[in-house]
Amino acid sequence: MASNEQDLARPPLFINKTVDTVFSVIEFGQYLINGISQGCLYCLLASGLTLMLGILGVPNFAHGNLYMLGAYIAFYVVAFFNMSYWLSIVIAAIILGVLGLIIYRLIFYPMRNGPHANLFVAAIALLMILESAALLWFGGETKWLILPYSNDVIRFGGMSLGVQRLIIILATLMVMLGLELFIKKTTVGAALEATAQNREGAMLCGIKVTQIAAMAFAIGTALAGVAGVLIAPAVMILPSMGLGPLLVAFSAVIVGGMGSIRGAVVGAFILALVESLTSGYISATYSLVFVFAAMILMLLIRPSGLFGKEL
Amino acid sequence: MKTIEQLRSSPWTAWLALLLIALIVPLVLGGYLITILTIVCIYAIACIGINLLFGYTGLLSVGHSAFLGIGAYAFGLIAIRFGLGFWPSFCASIIISGIAGFLIGIPALRLKGHYFVLVTLAFAVIINIIMMAWIELTGGAAGLAGAPRPDPIPLPWGDVIRFQSPLSMYYFILFFLVIIFVVSYRLINSLVGKTFIAIRDDENLTQSLGINTMSNKLVSFTISAIIAGIAGALFASYNTVISPDSASFMKGVEIVAYLIIGGAGTLAGPLVGPLIMIAIPEMLQMVPEIRQLLFGIILVLFIIFLPKGIAGEVSFLTSRIKSQPRNV
Repeated sequence: MASNEQDLARPPLFINKTVDTVFSVIEFGQYLINGISQGCLYCLLASGLTLMLGILGVPNFAHGNLYMLGAYIAFYVVAFFNMSYWLSIVIAAIILGVLGLIIYRLIFYPMRNGPHANLFVAAIALLMILESAALLWFGGETKWLILPYSNDVIRFGGMSLGVQRLIIILATLMVMLGLELFIKKTTVGAALEATAQNREGAMLCGIKVTQIAAMAFAIGTALAGVAGVLIAPAVMILPSMGLGPLLVAFSAVIVGGMGSIRGAVVGAFILALVESLTSGYISATYSLVFVFAAMILMLLIRPSGLFGKEL
Repeated sequence: MKTIEQLRSSPWTAWLALLLIALIVPLVLGGYLITILTIVCIYAIACIGINLLFGYTGLLSVGHSAFLGIGAYAFGLIAIRFGLGFWPSFCASIIISGIAGFLIGIPALRLKGHYFVLVTLAFAVIINIIMMAWIELTGGAAGLAGAPRPDPIPLPWGDVIRFQSPLSMYYFILFFLVIIFVVSYRLINSLVGKTFIAIRDDENLTQSLGINTMSNKLVSFTISAIIAGIAGALFASYNTVISPDSASFMKGVEIVAYLIIGGAGTLAGPLVGPLIMIAIPEMLQMVPEIRQLLFGIILVLFIIFLPKGIAGEVSFLTSRIKSQPRNV
């Protein structure tokens, strides 16, 4: 069952350490691998979040719910319509991209000139709407997406990695590479980057900033959907599953510097490693506390984040 | 004639009339309404705290559920573990939530905008995790039972006021709401309050006048934490059971949402918001999911179309109506 895989990916709640326990390289390596595969997931979420923040100034608090919708789409595509899991990645990206456009047009576009607090509260309202809609629509019970290889685990040198986790890593590499190429090599991507760097300057160059903003929002929501599809076979699918990853991904954006994709990627991996190492060596219950502590420490040392613009 | 005219136009008449309604309505209607109104009063207290911080100082905190929780747990733990009575525990919980607000405010207030909001949220989640996970202290997810009701107050002529019935608890909490409302009114109209408003309107300009904005923001943050702590302790005493659920970060979000719907930066906003958003769904006996769905939609509509909130829009309209004949 999928739960086996989850047990491997998530270290046990408390590891009893005795004084004579020597530092185990294998144990450490396992936590590193867990951190990297979890970091890939945060990376997809955080890069979407940072795009929205950099270009629209929207702290999209509903990002975790869009990720949850992605997981449900994967579940229904595979379990109900008997279609391929790979197809569900494309379907989720399209559905959530369109949903992102609708959300942007209905909610964030009308308040684009308002104070930042309004954007924040609107994003939280969106979180409430999506979560309760999912509860009403899909029901509150846990769903499992079981694929033929759900049980399979790759072992090497005492460490192990679930096949789905490997897929997450590879797919994230491909998606992030695609995003990087899109931004660096295409004209539209250049316009996107220009808008993030300097809104007024971009307007003066004839870039239609509103269209770019809508596109950035759609890319962000599509990335969240892809992340949701990727994680769907490895976790319990629940309407509330998005909150934890959202909080870590948001912290990653802050650590990396708002608006910087490179920063978001680095931040995602740093925090994922903090999470997996602290949950392995100290306590899984408190791992989120350590993630937040790392974020707050980072903010106090360097308020603009690793790659952010100087304040 | 002139005095009647003055009396009619004085805002205090309206407030006293409102207080009279709040005193009489539960007495007449009774029943389930008392429970709803008690909850409304507790949230209204928390909203007054957030209003000082967000409405008047311009600092959005979605993490005040942390102080609700700190107030409630400090009150409950001191009363249960140390066996102290209601009033010593209550005073201690106020002091503890003030200290917590001060200590959290120092690092958080160094940040601005989205960063500040996110750090308040992070603190709220941390506090909530501690409530869940530190089972030896807090009782974990099951919560903490046995928070005391207020001590009976002896009257000079021999009677004793007891706080066992829902109605007496309602009046007890309403008493605190009135006191905190008056204190916040006095505060906003003092020099400190004017400084808060100046910081909200333009922080750099305020700083250029030689005002220490950091210490003023810290004062505002600490006061709002104390008020949230009082709301938490009152809730603990009213409910007698404290659970981490009552301090989940969504509660902090809800307080802000009530305030925005009621009208941030207005006196009536913190009262109107919880009254409408808690009482109406309760009376209609809505399913929680549907309530949350409608809540989210209403919140978005308010931010887009009525950003001043109910109280803000009403006072804007009445001031326009009033100003027309006077101009003639």
